[in-house]
Order: sequence, then C-alpha cells, then structure tokens
Amino acid sequence: MTTTTATDTDLLRRMRNGAADAFAALYRRHQGPLYRFALLRCGSADTAADVVQETFMGLLTERFRFDPLRGQLQHFLFGVARNLILKSETAQQRHVVLVGPDDGDDPDNELADDAACPLARLLDHEAAEEVRRALALLAPHYRDAVILYEMHDMSYADIADICQVDIGTVRSRLSRGRAALARRLAGWRDTVRAA
Amino acid sequence: MDTRNTTDRDPLFDALRAEVGRLDAPRGVEQALLQAFAQRHPPRRRWHDVFTQRGWALAGMTGAAGGVLALALAFAPQVPVPDHGARAVALLDDDNPFIALDSAERIAAEPAPRMVAADVPRTTLAALGVPLTPENAGDSVRAEMLVGADGQPLAVRLTMQ
Repeated sequence: MTTTTATDTDLLRRMRNGAADAFAALYRRHQGPLYRFALLRCGSADTAADVVQETFMGLLTERFRFDPLRGQLQHFLFGVARNLILKSETAQQRHVVLVGPDDGDDPDNELADDAACPLARLLDHEAAEEVRRALALLAPHYRDAVILYEMHDMSYADIADICQVDIGTVRSRLSRGRAALARRLAGWRDTVRAA
Repeated sequence: MDTRNTTDRDPLFDALRAEVGRLDAPRGVEQALLQAFAQRHPPRRRWHDVFTQRGWALAGMTGAAGGVLALALAFAPQVPVPDHGARAVALLDDDNPFIALDSAERIAAEPAPRMVAADVPRTTLAALGVPLTPENAGDSVRAEMLVGADGQPLAVRLTMQ
C-alpha cells in the first residue's frame, strides 16, 4: 500500500485555484511550529495567534507572495512571521517610549515580565519556565537563532534563509545566545543541584 | 558547511520542548482564515447547476425522443426521389412543409438528394412538441428527411397519419 502526501507546492497550487481543503491542509501542517515560534519569540499567546493569522492571511491574499523556486514554504512562513513580530516589537517600543521614557528599565526586561506574559500561565514545569524566562531576556536576534535551532531543529542554513543573514552570522548569534542563556541559568542550575 | 545533527541539541531545552511542543494556535484562527478564504473564493456555479431537476427531466426526454427518431430514420427503407427537378418543390410538397436544416442554396445545389422515411410512434415525439391526446396516443407519425449525397440532412418533415 502506498501513501501519498501532497507537497506544499501542490497544496499551494490547489489553494490558489480555490480549493479550501488545500488551504486548510497547509494551515494544519504549518500552524503548530509557527505558533510555537511566535509564542516563544514574542512571549504573548495573543500576539502569537495574531502573527499566525496574519501570516496565513498574507499567503491567502498574496500580500506575501511565495515562490517555490526560492525555497521551502516553511522557511518562508517563518520569515514572514519573524518580520511581523519585529514590526510589532518596533511599534511596541515606540509606544513604551511615549508612555514612560523615564522608567529606566532594560527593554529586554519588558519581555521577561511575567504579568505581561500569558505564556507563563501555560508553562507549569519549573525547568521549562526557567529556560523560557532566560530565553525571553535574550536580545531578539539571538532569540531567533536559539529558538529556531533548539526548538525547531533547524539547520544553520535554514536559519540563515529565514533570518536573511549568512551562515557565519547564524553561527555567531547562536553561540552568543547559548552563552548568555548558560550564564542566566547558572544560578538556577546551582540551586537545582543543591536541592 | 552546516554540520547540524539532532544530537547536539541542548538538553536544557528538553523541558521547554515538552511543554511548548503540544501547543497549537487557537481554533478561532483557523475558523477566521477559512471564512476569509470562502469570501475570497466563493463557490463557482458549474454549468450543470443551471438546470433544475425538471429541466434535466425535459432535456432527458427530448434527448431520448431525438435518439429514437434518429435510429428510426437510420434503419428505415430509403425512398428514392423520383425526379431531381422536384427537389426544390419538395420543401412545399404535401400537407406539411419541410423544415429546412440547411440554406436554400445548398439544398437547391444538391445533385443527388435522397429521401429517408420512417414511422415513429407519436408518444416518443411528445417531448418535441407533437400534440398527444388519449385518442391519438397509439398513432404513428411519418418522419421524412431529405438527405444530401454526403449524408448531411437537408430538410425534415413530420407527416401526421
């Protein structure tokens, strides 16, 4: 018995011809990883859902036009989601500056604020929560590389394709991101070992 | 080049992978997207949807009656036209006129027309508009077709018997 799984390109072609089932299949295939990336990347379940919706809406309306000759659909979707998150963060930072320019907090700490982060409610495992917290404190360009590498099992080339940088940059961002994570988690590791 | 393999993943992330790995986008996102898709791609009416069920029944009856008529004419004995000069007059001959299926010039220029005739039950022609009553339901209709040398039909006439 043989099983046939439609490729992304086949589904995309059928979707462009108006097949709703093809669009639904594409969505179900890619929504999970995309949502998890957005969730860890921006730290908000609502924003992550918005990013996923806007990414697929862009695919549907061809606001974001995918060319199968230029790479994989998954990488394209991750790239679009990342750009949408960056755009959202830029707008958010502008808003923060207007509201409270004298707060004096490190902007990275905004992302680590549990009260503003619904993801914290979703993660009940202590270790997971510690890593998530440390991840949220990383600079965004390091966080991209670490999340895609560690959580999505992507290669340097895949990450370079998504982030539109060269492989050497990916390697250095990943190395620095992991080192920063290790430093932030050192205290927690010591506590765990002592316990 | 990239030498990535799955064994060099940091075990620090195992717990987070397990926690986050089961999360999906809220179901509302899929519903919103499918609604947007439906608005963008409304279902197209296919050509056979333009007929109602009654229309299909009428079309089927007409087709069947036409098929019977064509078969009857195909297997009917051929009646030779006695006089070539009468071919133009044939259109107006007898009680019922022929209905021209081609141009008058084409019919007039036909060198060797043939007449093909058959008796067809009136009931089978009801769908074509032939009047049918309980009294004449058992009657037959004489169908005559003027055919060119190449087999192309030139004119047709139905004669009530």
